[in-house]
Amino acid sequence: MAKTGMERLEELRKEIFKCIHCKACRFAYSNEPDKDGIGEFAGKQGTILYEGMVDACPAGIEYGWEAFWNAGKMWIARSILSGDLEFSEEVRDVFLPCITCGQCSAQCENKVPTVDIIESLRAACLEAGIPMIDKHEVVDKLVKERNNPYGGKAAERFKWAKDAGLEKFIDNKGAKIAYYVGCTASYRQVEVAIATAKLFELLGMNFTLVDDEVCCGSPFFRIGAVDTAQELMRKNLEAFKNVEMVYFSCAGCYRTFTIDYPKWMAEGEKLPFKTQHAFELVARLVQQEKIKFKPNKELKGKVVTYHDPCHTGRHFAIDMEQEMIKESTNLIVDHRAIDKAIEAWYEVPRIILRKLEEDVGLVFKEMYRIKIDSMCCGAGGGVRAGYPEFSLRTASLRCDEANAVGADILTTECPFCWRNLSDANEMYEHGMKVLGILQMITEYNLLEILNKPTEKDFLTLSIREEIGHLPKK
Amino acid sequence: MSYKLCTEKDFEAMIGIVGKEFATNNKAITAGYLAKAIMGLESQIPDIVVRPKYVEEIRKILIYCSAEKIAVSPISGGLSGGFACPTIRPGGVVLDLGRMKRIIEIDEDNRFCVIEPGVTNGELWAYMHKNHPDWAPPIPDGAPPAATVMGDAIDRGFSLYTSSVGPQGDNFMCGEIVFPNGDVVRTGSWALPFAKPFYKYGLGPDMWSFLMGSQGSFGVITKAAVKIYPHPKHKTVVVWGMSNPYDMQDLTLEVGKKEFGISHHTVMVQGGNYQLVMTRWPKDKVPHDYEFYEGMGISPWWMNWEIWAQEESELNHVIETIDKQAEDFKKRAKDPDALKKQELHPKQIASRMKKPNKIAIPYSFWEAGFLFITWYTPWNECAHFCDMYTKAAEKHGLPPTIWVASIERCRQAICMPIIGFDSTKQSDFERVQDLNRETTEYALKQGWLNYRPDPYIHIQAYYQAGMYWKYLRAFKKLVDPNMIMHPGRLALP
Ligand SMILES: Cc1cc2nc3c(=O)[nH]c(=O)nc-3n(C[C@H](O)[C@H](O)[C@H](O)COP(=O)(O)OP(=O)(O)OC[C@H]3O[C@@H](n4cnc5c(N)ncnc54)[C@H](O)[C@@H]3O)c2cc1C
Ligand code: SF4
Ligand code: SF4
Repeated sequence: MAKTGMERLEELRKEIFKCIHCKACRFAYSNEPDKDGIGEFAGKQGTILYEGMVDACPAGIEYGWEAFWNAGKMWIARSILSGDLEFSEEVRDVFLPCITCGQCSAQCENKVPTVDIIESLRAACLEAGIPMIDKHEVVDKLVKERNNPYGGKAAERFKWAKDAGLEKFIDNKGAKIAYYVGCTASYRQVEVAIATAKLFELLGMNFTLVDDEVCCGSPFFRIGAVDTAQELMRKNLEAFKNVEMVYFSCAGCYRTFTIDYPKWMAEGEKLPFKTQHAFELVARLVQQEKIKFKPNKELKGKVVTYHDPCHTGRHFAIDMEQEMIKESTNLIVDHRAIDKAIEAWYEVPRIILRKLEEDVGLVFKEMYRIKIDSMCCGAGGGVRAGYPEFSLRTASLRCDEANAVGADILTTECPFCWRNLSDANEMYEHGMKVLGILQMITEYNLLEILNKPTEKDFLTLSIREEIGHLPKK
Repeated sequence: MSYKLCTEKDFEAMIGIVGKEFATNNKAITAGYLAKAIMGLESQIPDIVVRPKYVEEIRKILIYCSAEKIAVSPISGGLSGGFACPTIRPGGVVLDLGRMKRIIEIDEDNRFCVIEPGVTNGELWAYMHKNHPDWAPPIPDGAPPAATVMGDAIDRGFSLYTSSVGPQGDNFMCGEIVFPNGDVVRTGSWALPFAKPFYKYGLGPDMWSFLMGSQGSFGVITKAAVKIYPHPKHKTVVVWGMSNPYDMQDLTLEVGKKEFGISHHTVMVQGGNYQLVMTRWPKDKVPHDYEFYEGMGISPWWMNWEIWAQEESELNHVIETIDKQAEDFKKRAKDPDALKKQELHPKQIASRMKKPNKIAIPYSFWEAGFLFITWYTPWNECAHFCDMYTKAAEKHGLPPTIWVASIERCRQAICMPIIGFDSTKQSDFERVQDLNRETTEYALKQGWLNYRPDPYIHIQAYYQAGMYWKYLRAFKKLVDPNMIMHPGRLALP
């Protein structure tokens, strides 16, 4: 029996009471005061000094009041638990405009699981009878009717595959590998879906697009509509039960299947398949020298930067950390191994980017806030649907940062980040091209296979699974 | 003394002054300003929070609140734990000064910078690192980066230069302050319309010192000039370990008393016991036996000297002098065999020299919450303090973690027990308060002074200093006739 939001909040009581209101969580690089940066840059959203620690909680930056920065929210949670505050629409309106990006959690030395707390607050608030905001009600209704929050027809979920000549992969019986496409890539950023499926095809992967695939539930777990989310989870678990490995191209779906589902499944129940993101496979093949990239005139000399999606970056890094803390019996000794694992995780997409730089001739240049200190794109946590202006201003702040390093191309590996960054890029005239990494590889025809990968390669454990454990004593 | 409960009319008045966007009485937002942690456990949710940007707005707010007898608590960064801490009900108005965040001037020749209240330690550090790399502001070493330079000075904090040059309050030259009676006063040389803030003692007796103090200022400080200091390239940390606090105290005093050319270079002189390392981690995830820490090369007690020098030869001279003094001290030490130099890894040195850092934040990781209960003692009594406090903490079943640092070359000590406890449990709260009460009684008998006092338990100090308190009260009456600022502090009202 799944727990209610209030029960989860109660379970997190001790974590909530660990918060000392130190506010370190408002900054990226909160522990690197001397970090050399790139100086001041006047962007579309104002001037920022990219040196040392920099404000990086989008909600706090947008709304200013202490309650909107993470520290304030932790004390709201505490006030709810101690009875000083009751759920109300006013309370809801403070913790809903939060992107659940996890930047705060990553900075916290007391390891307060801020995103879990915020999501539990949201769930408890709904349970207390406080209605969703109108915009969330609309997507909740749509997903209940159509199994996706965009209102797309079920029959058209894989229209992109048919249009791109990839029909043979739909319901490809007997395949041990599935590609879970997700709603954004199915109905909106079809470029990402096409690029990923084509890449798999080029690599020789025998995969299936599962006909009964429905929304992963991510937005609903995030906004506290956990009943809706669990219903979707059940449908997906049933639909994918016969495959061994599920691949993703969306950071949010990957996170939801891998981190959320096991938390919401019955005790003792396990995910019936392994999961990994397509970029993990590509990085591994690069490392094993099974693939390389072709030089490209159009891309040569272009400055490419990379945005770490919160869902593949921080959420996995923090989950990995929490799991390793659980495993540890002596953290004074083990914390270095944890830091190393997190660093290794963030290197995965960079293996591809550096290889692209080497082979293709593009220039890979990092933004100031990267990896665990990366600034969010503004799309997650139900914010794009619920608070579109805030969401786009945040994306534009991120585009400013890419502009600050002179990027021609802003890459990422999540269609949801892609959408938001791309919209902000257009709306605020940042003048870049926004592309998924895998999309860039297929669209520019960069892939060169040196040594054809085997099914074993495709079924191999994800890099995340390999690095996310303490060394055996 | 009674205060008025804020009404809708008062809220409208605040909106009239700062605009709708910057005043709120939404309980969901005001609750975000709570902090029952670190230095105060009594914080209340304020009735109204206002975020002014201009001096004139603050003036109008104070005049209004004074006329209406509404309590006012200003916060710059809001980290002191006692912040937003109107300890009496109703909570009144919190002035969140975070929007006043200009770094107005950096003057390298006269060696000061002028800042507004909302400038955080992290921001000023980054700004100077980029634009004035040979100079550094006296930010607190251990306070989190979001604490402000101003808030720390008003709290009379412990800055990275305090062991060398004195308390943080002494680094402040001149200020601009708005009193609840509506006057805006500039202190020191700034009292003159055309003077730079270059001299603290301007026209007669110094008024600025009256305004500094963790017990709560008498008005709202809106600008201050802060000394800046050289930030030389040659830096290191020297550590000596020992078995007991008395050897730590006496060796450090011998070094401190050298003054010229030696202890002036030791910008941070801080130490403590091995539990400082242990209690930064979860209680069930670290060894509790000393043997483990001994294996890591950590002595039961130790002292760090962080040394800054313009030349390498100067740096080496200070290191050699400390080492020589320590060797010589073995003849007088209680436990000479335990006196050992600790060799640090370059990463450990770098981490100790980081400013501002997050070193003190994870004491909540031990259980769920911690309290700093801080006292000043003459330096040569700090070992007695440590001895007393560690025994008292153990008696109450709390970890005996203690941090000690020198102020002004061992003229005074700041002694800070860090009490890790489970703040979800009422019984733990009570244990901590019992420990605090008991040790306060003992400490006051020794003539020690509490720092950033708890407004209830440490109030005992004022009862013992009646004449001083009489004049504090009189001065407060002058500038704050209705006693609206920082209610509950200074044993007032
Ligand atoms: C983990 C941790 C470590 C710490 N380590 C250190 C350390 O090494 N050294 C040190 O000195 N401190 C340390 N502190 C304490 C903390 O740094 C100080 O309390 C903090 O610097 C205060 O800054 P603030 O901006 O948060 O002040 P606030 O909390 O905003 O204010 C402090 C006090 O001053 C009053 N005040 C604030 N602004 C004004 C104003 N403009 N006019 C009038 N009154 C005002 C407030 O009402 C309050 O009483 C530490 C705290 C924590 C949590
Ligand atoms: S969540 Fe962590 S970093 Fe943020 S204020 Fe609380 S203790 Fe500090
Ligand atoms: S999750 Fe992101 S937006 Fe939400 S409080 Fe934390 S840093 Fe801010």
